[in-house]
Amino acid sequence: MIMDLLLDAIIYGNLLSLLAVGLSLTLLTTKVANFAHGDFAAVGIYVAYTLSIIFNASPYLFLPASFVSGALLGLVIYRVVFDPLRERASLVTLMVVSMALDFILRYSIHICADVLQRSLRVFSRGIIFNDVSVNLLGLSVLGLFFISTVVTTIFLVLLYLFLFKTKVGVATRAVIENPALSEALGISVRRIYALSWMLSVAFACVAGVFLPFRITVNPDTGFSMLLSIFAAVTLGGLESLLGSVIGAYIIAFSETLGVYYLSQLGISTAYRPAISFATLTLVLLVYPRGIAGLWSKR
Amino acid sequence: MDATFFLLDITVLYSVYMILSVSLDLEYGEAGLPNFAKAAFFALGAFSVGALSVRLGAFLLGVGIEGDFKLNSLRYVMAINQSISKDPLLGLTIFSMTLITAISVSSIAGVLASYPALRLREDYLGMLLIAFSETIRVIARNYEPLVGGTFGVGVVDFLAWARAPQREQLFLLISIILASLVWIVYYRLSTSPFGRALRAIRDNELATESLGRDVVKLRMKVMVLGSAMASVAGVIYAYYVGMVNPDDFTTSKTFLVTLMVIIGGRGNPLGAIAGPAVYLAFDRFIQFVKQRIILPFDPNYLSYIILGAILILIVNKRPGGLVPEKPTITLPGEIKRLLRRENYR
Repeated sequence: MIMDLLLDAIIYGNLLSLLAVGLSLTLLTTKVANFAHGDFAAVGIYVAYTLSIIFNASPYLFLPASFVSGALLGLVIYRVVFDPLRERASLVTLMVVSMALDFILRYSIHICADVLQRSLRVFSRGIIFNDVSVNLLGLSVLGLFFISTVVTTIFLVLLYLFLFKTKVGVATRAVIENPALSEALGISVRRIYALSWMLSVAFACVAGVFLPFRITVNPDTGFSMLLSIFAAVTLGGLESLLGSVIGAYIIAFSETLGVYYLSQLGISTAYRPAISFATLTLVLLVYPRGIAGLWSKR
Repeated sequence: MDATFFLLDITVLYSVYMILSVSLDLEYGEAGLPNFAKAAFFALGAFSVGALSVRLGAFLLGVGIEGDFKLNSLRYVMAINQSISKDPLLGLTIFSMTLITAISVSSIAGVLASYPALRLREDYLGMLLIAFSETIRVIARNYEPLVGGTFGVGVVDFLAWARAPQREQLFLLISIILASLVWIVYYRLSTSPFGRALRAIRDNELATESLGRDVVKLRMKVMVLGSAMASVAGVIYAYYVGMVNPDDFTTSKTFLVTLMVIIGGRGNPLGAIAGPAVYLAFDRFIQFVKQRIILPFDPNYLSYIILGAILILIVNKRPGGLVPEKPTITLPGEIKRLLRRENYR
């Protein structure tokens, strides 16, 4: 029982860390507290679902497709919505715009789901994916646990290598530190912003593909995860990528285990969001530097 | 008869949205506080009615509520409505008591919410308030003794003593009076030194503080006032619908109100009149068109997408909204006239 719980927490942590890293990336670069971030996961879900029905194959095979469509979506969103507002809109205005974006995306997915249901004659709400089991050193492991852990690790390592070992990555960090100075040094800030949006949305879409293996999903699922994502990023200190990864695992463990023990005490598991909310409030009010405050000198 | 109901529907919804817009305009437009927990303060008003109208009615009639509140509320509503139909005073007592409770509960919540408002960067504040609003809804949804959980709870008809057309006219009148009252309060505040101090805080907090304004106290006052206004809207809404359901108060409501404020124009009292009118006109138009066209999906989704796109367009093309904020000029009349003449030249 406790083993299942731990596995579940790790899977959820993998998901959440992919989402949280993306959210804090766009928060760092373009300063958007993005309320549409959960919906990107929903986009990933429906891309993988549609393709897996058309080609009649396991949704895992469409992780790359999901990644690419997420990157394209990120590019379009940055170019159309946030680029015109660059250096013009206040932080709150950007947040309101991201709420509008959430509306547009969420209900577009609803429309796609309706159309999907009619044209392909399949269910498009309350979906769940069939998992495969992986044989690992003679042990039969849940495919989701294995694949999501591997994929998340690869993505996070690649992101680290990108940010610290490549020229564009160094430029990205420079833009985060000081956009005006970087622009003066010949870095195209807009291109970096566009890149960070592409990465952010693509990561979220990949995370989305894992979701339906764990819970039944519908177009609103992404939005309902938003509170946990924000809690993870806040716990991580709001301005740190590593912090938000650690924050994501902490939130995932405390939600999974917390809900289990709450149900043991006879309290409804529907109070689950309260854990995220309490974390968010406490960190913001008591120690807003979060986990990153442990090593960051600023 | 049909026209009365149509008018009642439009007016009550407009009043509710206008009060909400006024309260958000005061906090966000004038003081620069993004109170994205608007749906929660709106809900507090409605929950006060939902939780109290039946219990209060039963208490005043000297009947104890037996059994499950969730399952029996509608039965008690019917019994209390019958008593109210003979005794108008009972209905008015219930109405005023719930209104007072709603205002005081949400004022206290406003004081609580103003505590983080003093120390956080504005976008983090907005984030925290949205999370707060969702948490309130989740608690109300699962804690059944409050407003019956997902099942919802019935609300007493405090005008049950009036006959059919008069009852609707009376309700219409009450909602118009409350909405105008709220708007006049806002207008008076906005054009007074208080409003100017708020806008000064929004534009430059440090400078305002250095000129001797107590930023902490002013922000707290605004939050309390805005929250109290939102709860009045909640009370009207609950009595109008005759039912309180926690799922009515999602963050989408907050978004809609923000949309109205931005369409209307932040920081201008006229904006709070224009915004809700534009939204309601759009909403009715969609309802009208919906019945006449056939789409392979739910047209409501399309209307939400259009609303989102409208907001992005307005922020880009006309950030001031329909009625942009005007710079405040507080000079003696003669100099003002001189300035105006200067402008014409």
